[in-house]
Amino acid sequence: MREYIDGASAIVRGALDAGCTFFAGYPITPASGILMHMMRELPRAGGVAIQGEDEIASIGMCIGASLAGARSMTATSGPGISLYSENIGLAVMGEVPLVIVDVQRLGPATGGATTVGQGDVQFVRWGTSGGYPIIALAPTDAADAYRLTVRAFELADRFRCPVFVLTDKDVAMTPVTVDPDDLRAIPPGPRSVETHGDPYRYHPPGEIHPLHEFGRGAPVRFTGSTHDEQAFITKDRSTIRSLNTHLIAKIEDHLHEIELVDTDPDPGARTLIVSYGVVAGAARVATQAIRRTGRNCSSVVVRSLWPVPEAVLAKALVGVDRVVVAELNPGLYRREIERVAQHCDVVGVNRIDGHLIDPKDIMEAAW
Amino acid sequence: MRWAVPEAEFMDPGTLGCQGCGGALSMRMVLKEVGDDAAAVLPACCWSIIDGPWPLHSLNIPVLHTAFETAAVVATGIKAAKRHQGKDTTVIAWAGDGGTFDIGLQALSGAAERNEDILYVCYDNEAYMNTGIQRSSATPVGTWTTTTPDERPEPRPKKDIMAIMAAHRIPYAATATSAYPDDLARKVRTAVAARGGMRFLHVLSACPPGWKMPADQAIEAMRRAVLSKVFPLYELRNGRDLTITVWPDREVAIEEYFELQGRFAPLEHEPQTVEQIRSDVAERWQALVDRHERTMALAGA
Repeated sequence: MREYIDGASAIVRGALDAGCTFFAGYPITPASGILMHMMRELPRAGGVAIQGEDEIASIGMCIGASLAGARSMTATSGPGISLYSENIGLAVMGEVPLVIVDVQRLGPATGGATTVGQGDVQFVRWGTSGGYPIIALAPTDAADAYRLTVRAFELADRFRCPVFVLTDKDVAMTPVTVDPDDLRAIPPGPRSVETHGDPYRYHPPGEIHPLHEFGRGAPVRFTGSTHDEQAFITKDRSTIRSLNTHLIAKIEDHLHEIELVDTDPDPGARTLIVSYGVVAGAARVATQAIRRTGRNCSSVVVRSLWPVPEAVLAKALVGVDRVVVAELNPGLYRREIERVAQHCDVVGVNRIDGHLIDPKDIMEAAW
Repeated sequence: MRWAVPEAEFMDPGTLGCQGCGGALSMRMVLKEVGDDAAAVLPACCWSIIDGPWPLHSLNIPVLHTAFETAAVVATGIKAAKRHQGKDTTVIAWAGDGGTFDIGLQALSGAAERNEDILYVCYDNEAYMNTGIQRSSATPVGTWTTTTPDERPEPRPKKDIMAIMAAHRIPYAATATSAYPDDLARKVRTAVAARGGMRFLHVLSACPPGWKMPADQAIEAMRRAVLSKVFPLYELRNGRDLTITVWPDREVAIEEYFELQGRFAPLEHEPQTVEQIRSDVAERWQALVDRHERTMALAGA
């Protein structure tokens, strides 16, 4: 028996299995399927799903719910991420565990509401003021969307920050056959929480302490301003430096915990194909086709886009002198690959016309 | 002789509207009165599609597609520029119920409070139809949508957008529907003549796919909405002087309105909700009648 399921349904199932008890969202193609399924399924599972009056309301509700003890998720597409921007920053500053699904469509602006794209890759990374890190996972298909949604909840709780599930219209809306065993996960245990002591400890920077939920134990303050470990607003430079250093270090000091890269090395290969999201399918086909011609070719599929999995990429780049980065945007993630592959010739295979990349295009670029 | 509805057309046939689309018909009727010295601002809504793909632009006026929450404010900007150029173009902010009642309410309220010289038309099909029938705050109680599924139909009554607009004391606001084209045309005429300040038209617009009914029942559904007093037709000047413009000429029970539409199927199992709606409709109608009579008395009629 195999299931016929689209990515939106798989994400909802992943969220439920991960213990999500709160969802808020606003209609937007191609993410509405997640809202629709959540409005139906979450109440049945004993959770709460709310359709907000706009995106600002939806993410705001999620921040409140998360702080009050609910594993929370919201879902939207590019124009909705624009409206999330301020609250993404609030969740970064206030160290709020939160899962944000971005079902990418072709941009900019309204772009192509029913058209595939991967143009939000840098947007989710830099989508709020300050430039502080977030985590972003990019599923390659419906089953992966399930797995990475579960993983996103784990990471959100672990690192107390917004975690993006960066998917796209084709993964979210195209039903595919999936082995039911691929839609099972070990659910994360209960969130680690504390009820007393300073709720925002950041000494030493990078060490993450459990969340203090609102309404449990000692009263907790919450602020989007620069603050000390009790959330009292501060202008003290050394305190501010410690806080902001912590917001960076808590993610960058734990890269190995976050990195998710599918590597398919081919010994002796001097060409490496890099892909992520829906393009991974074409990249895998292209890799196999190249090998069938008798040539060596390696492939990596990056499933944790942010922070950039530099160690794994560096390892995959050993012996390589040509890198092909295939993506449905003008070459946004290629910038990151160029940074870690400075000794290589890095070329892009890019489509910005709303159509998927053909394996042939990747093969030609890898030639 | 002058027809009650002008013969002039500023919308071409062959739009991308669904069969029986009340939203497309509302635009056609409104433009007949507004004429071609006009510009339309469309936020995300069905009309961002209905207009048509290149080269099949269906409107003979300039159209500006804008972000979901910005119909009223982009229209405000256009009007300011036109005024600066000494032109009196009618700038229409044309938004659905989601873009008016929900995400666009803040911009709408701002424009109304500043009394911007724009004509804001909400074509209300009572849910987010373009994205696949999700509920909005214009969705009536008891309705099925994809986000208020059968087991939990819409639990709350429709937001009273006219009361919100009245609270802003704008010069002119009216409810209308294409099932009463002469009434709609006259209200558009009045709204255009009231230029200089904010005008708001709340136009009920049937959506056969979203209301779950055959396309040829669209006009009948809108007519029954008025006759059953679920959607009374009235106008409001300066937020105070209210006049009912269409008095139902026959009794139509609310059930006769509901039964045309599959979206109200959950009500079959909720007799208390139906009774609640019946009493709400009667109470609201009586309040409108009282205000109408007070307006008449003040005018010495």
